[in-house]
This record gives sequence, C-alpha cells and structure tokens, in this order.
Amino acid sequence: MRAALVARLQRWQDRRAPAAAEVQLDHSRVYIVPSRAGIAYAATLLLILLAAINYQNSMAYGLVFTLGSLFIVAILHTYRNLSGLRVGSDAPQAVFAGEQARFIVHLQSQGKAHYAIAVGWGVHTAHTTDVLPAQAQRLELALPTSARGWLAAPRLRLSTGFPLGLLRAWSWLRSGQRVLVYPCPLAGELPTQHASASTAELAGLQALGQGTEDFLGLKPYQPGDAWHRLNWKAWSRGGPLLVKQFGEARGQDLALDYLALEGGREQRLSLLCHWVLRLAEQQRPFAFSLPGLHLPADCGVAHREACLRALALFEGHR
Amino acid sequence: MNVPRAGLTWLLIGQALLLVPLWWQLPPWLLLFWLVCSAWRIQVYRMRARVPGRGLRTAMVVLAAVAVFFSSGRSFGLETAAALVVAAFLLKLLELNTRRDAWVLLLLGLFCQVVAYLFDASLPWALYSVLPLAALLAAMVGLQGGQGERLGPPLRRAAGLLLQAVPLALLLFVCFPRIAPLWSLPLNSGQARTGLADVVAPGDIATLAQSPELAFRVSFDGPPPARRQLYWRAFTLERFDGRRWQQGGLSRFQAVQPWQPVGEPWRYRVIQEPTDKPWLFALDVARSTAPDVQQTQDYRLQRRRPVDQPLYYSVESWPQVVRDPQLAPALRQQNLQLPATGDPRMRAWASDMARRYPESEALVAAMLQRYHEQDYHYSLRPATLGSDSIDGFFFDTRRGFCAHFAGAMTFALRAAGIPARMVVGYQGGELNPAGNYFTVRQYDAHAWVEYWRQGQGWRSVDPTFAVAPQRIDQGLAEALGADEPFLQGSPFSMLRYRDLAWLNTLRLGWENLNYGWERWVLGYQQAQQSELLLRWFKGWAIWVLPTAGTLTVLLLGLAVLRPWRRQVDRVLRQFLRFERLLGWHGLTRAPGEGPHAFAERAAQQLPGSAQAIHTFAQAYTRQRYAGEAAAPATLAVQLNDVRRSLAGRTGPQRKPLP
Repeated sequence: MRAALVARLQRWQDRRAPAAAEVQLDHSRVYIVPSRAGIAYAATLLLILLAAINYQNSMAYGLVFTLGSLFIVAILHTYRNLSGLRVGSDAPQAVFAGEQARFIVHLQSQGKAHYAIAVGWGVHTAHTTDVLPAQAQRLELALPTSARGWLAAPRLRLSTGFPLGLLRAWSWLRSGQRVLVYPCPLAGELPTQHASASTAELAGLQALGQGTEDFLGLKPYQPGDAWHRLNWKAWSRGGPLLVKQFGEARGQDLALDYLALEGGREQRLSLLCHWVLRLAEQQRPFAFSLPGLHLPADCGVAHREACLRALALFEGHR
Repeated sequence: MNVPRAGLTWLLIGQALLLVPLWWQLPPWLLLFWLVCSAWRIQVYRMRARVPGRGLRTAMVVLAAVAVFFSSGRSFGLETAAALVVAAFLLKLLELNTRRDAWVLLLLGLFCQVVAYLFDASLPWALYSVLPLAALLAAMVGLQGGQGERLGPPLRRAAGLLLQAVPLALLLFVCFPRIAPLWSLPLNSGQARTGLADVVAPGDIATLAQSPELAFRVSFDGPPPARRQLYWRAFTLERFDGRRWQQGGLSRFQAVQPWQPVGEPWRYRVIQEPTDKPWLFALDVARSTAPDVQQTQDYRLQRRRPVDQPLYYSVESWPQVVRDPQLAPALRQQNLQLPATGDPRMRAWASDMARRYPESEALVAAMLQRYHEQDYHYSLRPATLGSDSIDGFFFDTRRGFCAHFAGAMTFALRAAGIPARMVVGYQGGELNPAGNYFTVRQYDAHAWVEYWRQGQGWRSVDPTFAVAPQRIDQGLAEALGADEPFLQGSPFSMLRYRDLAWLNTLRLGWENLNYGWERWVLGYQQAQQSELLLRWFKGWAIWVLPTAGTLTVLLLGLAVLRPWRRQVDRVLRQFLRFERLLGWHGLTRAPGEGPHAFAERAAQQLPGSAQAIHTFAQAYTRQRYAGEAAAPATLAVQLNDVRRSLAGRTGPQRKPLP
C-alpha cells in the first residue's frame, strides 16, 4: 500500500520534473512539509495557547502568536533556501563491479547563499554543505556497484531544514547520468588458443617486461603508445615520432577468447577482464573475442577501453 | 546526529536567560541544580566528563521530584508546577546527545517562558523576554548546522526572522478571537499579595498604608468626579467579634436587590492588579458588563474566580441610586449584630445619644461633630488597645487610622439601634496629568461607614473626613503629621520624592508607559477586543483577520522571495542560446549529456564550425565549472562567431527558423 503510494508519487514527480543534467530548483521541483520537530513545535504552541486562554494571559497569547508567525515565515525561508539552487552533474568515470561509482554533482548559487543543504541518494546518507554565492560546490557522491553493465544514477535528493528546522524542503532530481560498470576482475589462468604453448607464453610474459622481444619494425606514434618504445633517436634527428614495434612470431599473438573458457558467463567475463587489464598494463598486444564480436590484436588505451566496454555490456551466451 | 556547537551554546545561553525571571519564584536549590547540570554538560562537550548513565539519571530525576515535593509544602500551586517544569528543563541537559534531545529542551524552554509570563508579565520583564526568545531561536538555527560554527550568524538570522514575524503576530494579537477560559485553573501562586484581606483588625489598614504598591488604575470617559467622591468600594464588613471585623455571610453570596439607574452615570474603565481575591473595585452604585461578574447583596462587584491576572473591566456607576429602600429582616439583623459583652462605656454612650437624637441623621451628625471637635488624631501609629478596643480607642487613646474611626462609629450606631456596616476599599487616587487616569495604590486603602434609614436606604458617611479632611481632599501624605514620614518602610520608592520635579516627571512618564502596557496589552481580553474591533471595523470585524492575514502573508512572501529580482544566470543564458542555435541545425542535447560532450558531438557533425564551437564550449566550461570569472559578454561574442560560421551552411539538416 505504502510502496504503491510512494511509486505513484514518484511517477507524478517525474512527470512534473523531467530528467536533466542541469536544473535550477523552482516551485515545480521543491516540495515542503513540516518536519517532525515542526509537528512537535506546533503541538507545543497548542499547549501554550491553551494556557493563554485558561489564564487569560496576554503575554502567553503574544508568545503563541509570535511563534506561530515564525512558523509561517520559516515556510518562506526554507523554500527560499532551496529554490534558485542550480544543480548540475558530470558523466562519471567507469568503475569495476564492487567499487564505488563516483557521481559528481555541482551546486551553484544564483546570487544568494544556501545553507545546510543535504545532498544524497536517500534520506540517511547525505552530505551537508553550504553553497555561497561566489563559489560553486563540487560534491562526489559514492554509489556502490554490484553488477556490470550500465548503472543509472538513482534519484538525487536535495533537502534542507534551514533556517529553523521546523520544515523540510526537498527536491528529487534525476540527472539522467549513468555509469558503466566493468566486470569485477578475477585472477586465474590465461586461456589462450595455444594451450600447448601456455607455459612458454607465461615464461615469455615474464621476459616481456625486460624488453628482449624481437624487433618487428616501426609504426607512427598514436596517443596511448608506451613511451619507452618511442624511437627517440630518429625523432631527435628531426624525423617523425615513431614507435618501435616488438612482436612475437606470427601466430603467437595472444588471444583472449570467451569461448575458450570454462565456467559460467560472469566468471568467464571476470577472468577476461583480469587479463585485459594485465596485458594492457604490460603493453602486450592481444586479440579479443566474445561471441558476436572480434577485436584484432592490438594494444593501447583505446583497445583496452573497447575490450572492457564489450565485457561490461555483453549480453549473449546464456 | 550530533548537536552542532553553535546550537548547543545558544541553547545554554537561552536557558540561563530564561531562568532569570524565574529565580524570584522558585526554590533556591534549583539554582544549584542548574549550575551542576550546566557544568556537567559543558564538561561533556569538552570531553572532560562522561554522560551520566541511566541509573544516575534516574536517581537525579527522583531526587528532583522529591525535592520539589518537599519544598512546595502541601499545596500544588503554580510554583510547584513551575518547579517541576524547570527541573525537567534542567535535567534534560544531562541527556543532550542528539538533535532530538535538543528539540525537547527547546520546546521545554518555550514552556518555561510561558510560566515566567504567568508569574510576571509587567513591561520590564516582557521586554526582557525578547532576549531568551531570540537565544532559543538562534539555537534552532544553530542546530541546523551550516554557516560554519560561529555564534553570530545564527543570532542575526534569528533576529531577522523574529522581526519578519512581528506584523503577522501583531495582527493575530489584535484580531484572533479571545475566548473565555475553557476550564477553571486555580493560579494559586501561594505568594502573599499586598492588599485588602477578608478579615480586618483595626491596625491592618494602617499597615497597608505603608505600601506604595499599585492597586488599580482608572480612566474616566469624560471629566472625572471630584476627588472626595472617589470612594472605591471593595466589600463590606458586617460581623464584629469584639476585636476584628469580618464579612457577613449573606452579603457575600446573595444577589443584590434589583435596582433602577437614576440620573447621570460615571463611565470608566479599571485595570486591576491581581489580588487573588474575587472582588472588583468600583464607585457606588456600579454595574459592569464584564463576563463572570455579578453584584452581591452589599453592592460589591464580585467575580466568579479570583483576580489572578491583571484584569480590565468597564463600569458604569449611578451615584444617586437609592440602595435597599426596604431592608430584609435577616439583613437588618446582620447589621445590628454586636458581641454579647464588651465595650460597656460605648454601649452606654450610644444609648444616651440615641435618647438625645431620635433621628438617625441627627445622631450621625452629632457623632461626626464629636470626632471633629474633640481631640482625635489621624495617625498611622495608633496606640496599643486592650480587650475593650472600641472603648479604649474612643474614650482614651483617641489616636487611630480610618478603620478605628469607622469601626467605633459602626459599633455606636448599632448600639443605638441603627443598622450600620463598615465598607472597605480605596479612597482617592493620583491623577496622572498626561494620561487622564487615576492611579490608586495600596496606601489609598480606606474604610468608611454605611448606615440604613427607612425609605432612604444605605447612606455613606466617612468619619475620617471629620477628623482629617486633608486625607480625603489631598491624600495620605498630606494628612500625616510631621512626625510620621510618608512611606517609611520603602525608602527607595520614588513616591517619597514627589517634591523633586524632574524625578516626579520621570516617575509619571514611567507610570504612563505601564498604564498603556496594562491597558492595551495585558488587559486586552475579550471585552476590550470586541469593543475595539467594533469601534474600528463596525460589522466587518470578522473579515479583518482573514483579509489582513492573507495580505500580510502575501507581502511577506514578496519581501522574502523577491520574484522580480530572480537572478538570471547570464552565463547559462548564453549556453541556452547556444543549444537553441544548434537545435536549428538538428542537434539537440541528450539528457545526461554534459556541455563538453555535446560540443564535441556538434563539432563532429558540423566540422565547418568546429573551431568556433570548441572555443565557445571551453570558455563556457571554464566560467561555469573552473571558477573563472563570469564573462557573459565574451561568451556572446564567441556565440556570434558560431552563428556566423554556421550562417553559410545549407544542408538537409537545417530546419526553418521559428
């Protein structure tokens, strides 16, 4: 019952306030109700009014009217403290499953100070911050991840009780931001197609770091290529910036292949993820294939990102 | 959730301020209790002490409750209730760990303020109470956190909010319907009040004459009567036991005989100080429309409940009305009552007089003549009297105060067979030249005599006037002899220095202020409210609160929110223009797409303008997010570059300009 009501309310809110990367809070987005303290305050006022009536005490009347008017004034001020605030968000960095995704939220004032603004995903986990006119506030909100794939940012809740805490004004925001979650890397045996050579491969991997691999030739520099392979000598003579290419004998390129692995889907993806990271770290070219996708042998940041992205979003092979 | 430092500090300050007016009313050990609790709490905050455990806290609650019970004696009055509320207020300090605790403390504090008002709502304390209120509000602001941890900003903000709340509060104060008490709560404050008592021994009123305390204030509609006509009746004393006078049983509870107004009335308003007694003060013969007030057998005005708060009422008095032309037998008997024995000389003298003057009027005149011509003295220090007090005073010492003269005369009239009684109240008052009102003080307390005559009813006569006419015409200070200084017991009373003109002006100004406060604020209850609203708004009175209330809130909203000064972000406006411009070329920003990503995509799709688009987007991002100074003019120029670079472009994506 309660859950259904909450869901309906949220749908209604979503219709009123569509998702946007940057919004300015105004009356269509800010909600305000008495806080629990505000309700207790109102009950106290009722008691004081009773005392004023029964003792015919003008000062008690005066007190109750002053405090009651303060409540009205507090409604305006609490609303004002939240409205006009500009909230923006940046696309977050991809993370591995199990890590905390970091969503960036910018809070910026439109000329007035906003105090004690609580920002968070829920009611209980919130940062409280002041937003002053001169400076923009940049907040990092962590969100735990568990499964790979796209993770949409939940509704962001901005709320404040300032100045008196008698009321709570809040706004739900959908930034529309999402974070790509890679599989969680899982250490294990490297599965190559050359199962017979696997021992030698592993020995070779050790040697790779020492740079004793066969020299294959030169290729033009691309961002992401390892600096220690740059052909500095040629460059210093005025030639183009080239990268020395080392390689193994043809046919000995490493290939990470989903189908060559054993185990469940997520386990295989995690294992592949581990090796993508490891090989990329060692600047070693490798081919990569998933059912329905084949990336030829390459190395560099772009290749690594493409592999990880494919791993994160892989849906086939149940 | 911890209690922020600013909130805690203001809470402690507010509590200290709040308790100041209460220390006069509360048992002194509570002060010690407060010091202990505050010191403990501060040490907890400084990490020098631990929060007391549950057992210790329970023990302290029990201790406090027992101490309150014992120090209050047997009666459960306002003092006891106040002591309990304050004890709870203090004990809660030890359990101040979360914001919720702080809120409980705050709300208890508001309640303590009400208790303080019940004890004393005079102008100085009412002004003072703004301080604790502001501190409590500052504590509320401080509890929200924000603004750093400094103490100044919360107080400034609280003061600002308080000021903004004033107009609406004033409106509510004037227009919110005042209603009669829902149920009767005895405000038995237990504290002794100076004033007239039910039982009067001859010396009592003389003691009262030493007190400069305020009794009541009166303002007349139209010219006030002469001073010698101002006999403010409180009640009558009809039973004499040989020493003291007491109220008669009949006159206290029975309703008065109906009477018809005759002649021109005096109309006036009284603001009476609390007396903890039910009677009001009025000139004869009075009628009041105040709620709960009735007139009893002896023509006094009496309220159902004691006057425990300053009371405002309006009265009409018809001095020419004949009271009780026929006297009921029971009443007659009550007003002829004398003790079985005692005062033989007076009895003999009275029967002798009755023989010589068969007309009661002549007898009264003869008695007054004796007071006037023989060696009687008006004095605050009457000699000590033996067992036959009337005889001793009338024939031997001959020094006395009004109650002596009135008592002896009532006795003599009764002994002569004329129904008579003593009336107690106040006589005269000080006319404030600026305010056109009389201030009546305790030293104006007076006693006089009423005797009954067939067909003419009750007639008043004042023996004091025969002895010391200046008392009636000018006041007590002038009537006293040179050896009896006025207000001997209160050396600091400004009334003693009435000869100093500037001091007297100052005193009268202060009195004026207090009068206004009592009349317009403390006395503003049902009667005065309906009177005022009717005078100002006629039949529209009920519309005033909703209309003016809506208007006030509306104005307040405009003043606080200032919709016309909504700051438009000019940097953002340039970006929105940029978006619109690209929109015409078929590019719309996806939800979640940041400005940078959007520009990147646009540059790819519109390679001819890539340079301009990048320049604009980078400048915008720097100004918006990298803390660079906002320069919307530069952005506008760059946006123009984009527009120009797009201008020559024609293509399938181009949509017609709207």
